[in-house]
Amino acid sequence: MRRAVGVVYLNLHSFLFFHVLSLCLGYSPPGKPKLTSCRSPEKETFTCWWEPGSDGGLPTTYALYYRKENSDAVYECPDYHTAGENSCFFNKNDTSIWVNYNITVVATNALGSNFSDPVDVDVVYIVQPHTPENVTVTVMEDKDGPFLRVSWEPPRKADTRSGWITLIYELRVKLEGEEEWEEHRAGQQKMFNIFSLRSGGMYLVQVRCKPDHGFWSEWSSTTYIKVPDYFPRETSVWILIAVFSAFIFFILTWILNLKSNSVKHCLLPPVPGPKIKGFDKQLLKNGRSEEVFSALVVPGFPPTTSSDCEDLLVEYLEVYTPEEQELILEEGKDLQEGCLKSKGSPSDSDSGRGSCDSHTLLMEKCGEGEGKEEKHQERAQKGKRQQKHQTGWEEGDVSHTREDVLSPDMSEGRVKTWPSVFSPLPQYSSRPLDHQGSLETARQLCLSDSLFPPPSTSSHLSYNAKEGLALGSGQQEFYLGKKQTHPSNPQSQPRWHLQAHSDFNISSMDRKQAASGLQLPGFRSTEYVEVQRVNQEDMVILQPLFSSSCQRDGHLQIGQGEDYSKVKGVDSGNMLLLQREVEVKREEEDGDRYSCDIQDRVTESCYTTSTAASSQVTGKPTSCAGTAMPVQEEMVLAANGYVDAATMLL
Amino acid sequence: VRQKFYSTVWVAVLALVYLDFPIRVGTAAICAHGQECHAPSLADLFDRVIQQSSRVHGISSELHSDYEQYFFPSKNHIGKRKCHTYSILTPADKENAQRLGREELTEVILRLLGAWGDPLSQLHRSMTQDQNQDFNHYSSNKALEMSDMVHELRSGVTKVAEKMKLLGVISNALGYMSSPESLAPSSVSSSYERGDFNSIDHHDLLYCFRRDSNKVKNYLRILKCTTLPELDC
Repeated sequence: MRRAVGVVYLNLHSFLFFHVLSLCLGYSPPGKPKLTSCRSPEKETFTCWWEPGSDGGLPTTYALYYRKENSDAVYECPDYHTAGENSCFFNKNDTSIWVNYNITVVATNALGSNFSDPVDVDVVYIVQPHTPENVTVTVMEDKDGPFLRVSWEPPRKADTRSGWITLIYELRVKLEGEEEWEEHRAGQQKMFNIFSLRSGGMYLVQVRCKPDHGFWSEWSSTTYIKVPDYFPRETSVWILIAVFSAFIFFILTWILNLKSNSVKHCLLPPVPGPKIKGFDKQLLKNGRSEEVFSALVVPGFPPTTSSDCEDLLVEYLEVYTPEEQELILEEGKDLQEGCLKSKGSPSDSDSGRGSCDSHTLLMEKCGEGEGKEEKHQERAQKGKRQQKHQTGWEEGDVSHTREDVLSPDMSEGRVKTWPSVFSPLPQYSSRPLDHQGSLETARQLCLSDSLFPPPSTSSHLSYNAKEGLALGSGQQEFYLGKKQTHPSNPQSQPRWHLQAHSDFNISSMDRKQAASGLQLPGFRSTEYVEVQRVNQEDMVILQPLFSSSCQRDGHLQIGQGEDYSKVKGVDSGNMLLLQREVEVKREEEDGDRYSCDIQDRVTESCYTTSTAASSQVTGKPTSCAGTAMPVQEEMVLAANGYVDAATMLL
Repeated sequence: VRQKFYSTVWVAVLALVYLDFPIRVGTAAICAHGQECHAPSLADLFDRVIQQSSRVHGISSELHSDYEQYFFPSKNHIGKRKCHTYSILTPADKENAQRLGREELTEVILRLLGAWGDPLSQLHRSMTQDQNQDFNHYSSNKALEMSDMVHELRSGVTKVAEKMKLLGVISNALGYMSSPESLAPSSVSSSYERGDFNSIDHHDLLYCFRRDSNKVKNYLRILKCTTLPELDC
């Protein structure tokens, strides 16, 4: 009894002593081992490897224990050696597929033991086969060139024949010297072809395999293969393409070279430079801006008011509204821009007057149509008369005035055309009763202020306008009859009609009487005419009205029934011979009626200038510098057909 | 222009509608009864069946790994599970499988497939009902696909067996064909039928099914290679 206790006591002491000694010496129980992996090469056996922990300085033993699924029996590893150090090999008998193994490794040394963490293993998921075997590569010929045929066999141990294990393969190829491998999946087949080889290249081939659910095997050992030299077909195609491209490139270059200019122009359009006349870039660069800008100043611009005023006013169209304006039409297109003169613009002495100013101008400008002298005469008469009538006239087509035969002379450089008023418009011949035509002729009649001094004219006209006597008809239109029956005018071509709105007042001046010519009294006498009726011949029968006397040096009293000079005839020199008569009413041609007016007007217009010799009225009130006509003649026919009243006065 | 567009659309719609019918209706059998028809060979049938089983196993693996990552990040967390097909004796190694013979092997396959029909449907139902997780919403489609494929696989294997019988490869001594449903152990499957699944149950179920699908695939391959040794074996 005592001995047993002593033995126990001794053992305990030795044990404790040993432990204490060990601890004092730095020994410790083993560290925790760790199961690193378990693998099965063919799904029939498997091996597990562990990693030992620290051994604590003492010899340590390891043991592997496992438990199968749904069983509590613990088994120890059957084989520690086959698979090497720190491994456990399970042979076929101990291996069950689709069974969960719970494996633990225990490390034991003198001081203690340590258990690893348990690991669950199902063999079917840890299959990693060996590498494929018998990898053979051969060069085979094809119509496209040589290719490699790689063939192999499954690893020996893997039983694919019975279908127990199914492997899929993968191979990789690379040229000798390259770094990147070219990998190809081969599936379950044991053969593979590689194309597009480089001629004369040395290739390296490797194969590996894997079960459908498992791990890849290692790559097989490299197989070397050398491709014989051959000429690849692709190169020839590339050479062809290169040649073709070069050819196209050369052609394009040649074309570009030819058209370099146009291409340059297209791609790089020239930058427009400054094109300022007088602009000197150098001056600008020098920094002297004053010089630069002074160089830009062009003398003569802007034009001063004094010069060329008249030039600017050439060819203007005077348009008069019925109440207050007289319409003066000019020839053709000139009329379009013609003087638009309002009656109430006395300040502008030039306006309107230039074109319609004087009958002398009109006479001078009688350019067109020789056979129109009579008409001119008549027109002149009428025109002068109608200048006052024009207040009531409407505007019509200006275009019709185109054929104006008369055109004022450009003596003053101002008036372009005048005569249209007085010119018979040929086209009107077909429309005797054409309102438009008559209207235009009316328009053409430059019965305007131009023949009068502006203030007087305007007032006169205004007076006319307002005092227009109501015609018998409400229309206030009258037709100036045709000249058809004019004796002096055998040709019956022109029919012209004048259409006028509202009353017209014909002012007449009885200055004609001034045998002295153009010495006109300072007064203005206006004579008014009222339309009595229109006869069947489309002639307007006018009846003079006297609101003011048409005094002519006291000679003639133009009153009711006084008659005006009528056209005697046409001189050979294209002069209208007028004759004054005293009659109350007369069916006259229109031309007669206006003689007084014309004369008056002439006298009036010449009032200011009062040249004895010349009684012509120019376009300007300021000067009666029209074409000087010999006074001795009774009638002076302007070139345009206007009558010089002064001469007529004689 | 707008009218033209609408009319074009209308015509297109009509065309689509009318075209759809032939697609549906036009799937008539190429050969009628009695005619000389080129029925798929046994090799073709095997290939189809093996492909199908491989697909099934793939989906089950995916699902299982998804579950493991999502719910049980710690590895090797395998609880005390017992698969309900535990009672079905299956060869656990190659020798046993080869020793089994074609008929039994076929039978085992059919049993396994039959045992999983209902549990998979229940799994799908349970996953769709468990709406509190996005994971289930995504995985329930896979579960449904799995379930359908298992049914198809089962009918396919049946056809293979019939073909084999026709060819005389296997004998007619197969009692399993008649009543496949009775083989499932009722005790275990009843727990599934109760319908009280949770995530752990899902995980275990998927684990079991993954393994069983692997078995099926393997057995089919063995069956093919023993029956038709010349092809791919």
